[in-house]
Amino acid sequence: MTRYTAWQARHTLVWPGETAVEGVMETLWSVRRPVRDLRPGDHAWLAYANEDEQRHVAGAFVRDGLLAREKVIYVAGSVKDAVPGVPPGTPDELLAFLPSGPPDGGRFDPVATARAVTDEIDRALAQGFRAIRVAAEMTWALRRPDGLDLLQAFERRIEQAVPPSTQITAVCQLDRRRCHRAELAALRAGHAVLVAPDPEFEDAVLRIVRTFQPAGLSLSGELDASRHSVLDQALASVISGCGTREIHLDLAGLGFIDLGGINLLTEVAGRHADPAHLVLDRVSPQLRAVMETVGWNMLPGLTLGAV
Amino acid sequence: MSLEHRALLYGDMESFVEATVPFLESGLEREQAVIAVAREPGLSALRDILKPHGNAVLYFDSARFYEHPVRTLRDYQTIVRQSEPRTVCALAEPVWDGWTELQTREWVRYESLINVVFAHSGARALCPYDTAQLAPRIIEDARRTHPVVVGDGHDGANDAYVDPARLGMGCDRARRFDRPGASEYMAIDGADLHALRAFVAERATAHGLGRRPAQNLVTAVNEVAANALQHGVPPMGLWIWRDGDDLVCEIGDNGFWRPSPLTGFIPPDSALQRGFGLWTVRLLVDLMELRAGWDGTFVRLHVRR
Repeated sequence: MTRYTAWQARHTLVWPGETAVEGVMETLWSVRRPVRDLRPGDHAWLAYANEDEQRHVAGAFVRDGLLAREKVIYVAGSVKDAVPGVPPGTPDELLAFLPSGPPDGGRFDPVATARAVTDEIDRALAQGFRAIRVAAEMTWALRRPDGLDLLQAFERRIEQAVPPSTQITAVCQLDRRRCHRAELAALRAGHAVLVAPDPEFEDAVLRIVRTFQPAGLSLSGELDASRHSVLDQALASVISGCGTREIHLDLAGLGFIDLGGINLLTEVAGRHADPAHLVLDRVSPQLRAVMETVGWNMLPGLTLGAV
Repeated sequence: MSLEHRALLYGDMESFVEATVPFLESGLEREQAVIAVAREPGLSALRDILKPHGNAVLYFDSARFYEHPVRTLRDYQTIVRQSEPRTVCALAEPVWDGWTELQTREWVRYESLINVVFAHSGARALCPYDTAQLAPRIIEDARRTHPVVVGDGHDGANDAYVDPARLGMGCDRARRFDRPGASEYMAIDGADLHALRAFVAERATAHGLGRRPAQNLVTAVNEVAANALQHGVPPMGLWIWRDGDDLVCEIGDNGFWRPSPLTGFIPPDSALQRGFGLWTVRLLVDLMELRAGWDGTFVRLHVRR
């Protein structure tokens, strides 16, 4: 049982005739883990929807490693690419940046790139690092001639190095907007772990996770007065961080929300001079019953989204 | 803009039609939003007679419109809001048969609350009372809840009218607050109400409540308990018991609160307004009773299966 399914089994109010909705997808061949739960040997996959998601997820992977004084090896297309999540004042020896793209139009060289990575790993091990994180942004490689085949060759080499290791964790990133569906499916199949954002908040009763497409939050568990302030904070950070005026809340996993919570959502929607619009997706029957009872005119700034 | 709230006492269909048709037509002439909520066969008679006016009059059957007093108030308020800037002219015939004593009292209170909720709406409401069918005490109550009474020899002046707050207090005094010995009790002692919700959900399902009424009860109980935690004085707790088809939950604390007899009855403007919580609780359950006594504050919620 993963940390999340164990959490969910404990804390979701399940009504008769209704099964708890899976907030996080798991399949037989892959497991989804928040950044903080990645462990050595994980060769993980991140197909990000936009820069916000990349910064949030890959950035946390890099930052957590550097703050823990682990070695971080970052692979990217060119020197122009910034490494996300680097805290100010990070000592040079912790971070190795490998811009691996050939000149414009050239083929991606999986052998040379993989060797550069394994050389860097060997060097770090020789220096006495106990834990090593590899983060590779590979969208550029896919877009070169024969990109899919060559990138798969690279991935196979990473797969040979990482899973047997008790010291190396790797995250391969692709910009979903620049990949075809078939390419994503083929590449994803080579990864046993899907990396997810760390929850904004998680305790025994409530879990709040950022979503990026659409921008917003996913709530699961139960919300009552004891946790209004954490939701308020999470909402404030999404609204200030993502620059869009429409925030989506995925409520599929939220078994209960109290009237104060509804009040809070209405208040947040109307708080700003330029009011944010809150779209409630996959609203539970409990919340729907309340909203229909009080009437939508009581809830300015809130709309119902996906069912 | 003031409210005109009249009771119409009628003894037969002829006198019903003679009074209601000119009333509704005067609304059309004044370009008000005109609605007719009436019982059958009066409703069909009105539709027939007013056919030349087409869709200008909205018709509702009282049997459907008067199911839950606080929800009916909400529905009239929605009509008033949606009709703006026009004012509303409403024929509003309540239903008086089929209620328990407790429910009848709440409908009397409802008639009185109309005077407060719509005080500044500019609406005109005419409430027909069938003297041939209704018990004399219902007619007496109509005099207490309508500032003006017409028909059946009445010319309008009504000195039996009672101020809504005072009438509400009278309704409250008539209640009984004994609690059966077989009730179950659960203390409310932490900010986290998860266990309380699970307990109430389980009892609601066991009582045979449908999913939606059960969820609404849990939402209502949570709100009242959260209020007690925020404003009340420990110890706080929940009693729950069955009373025939009713499941009853009572949340009590040791605090001394002096709520107005109108507390939670007046629809707020939005979820942001104070009072949204208690008003919503009243909508979510069949009946909410509030008692502030020497021994504490108690909120009782009834839901029928």
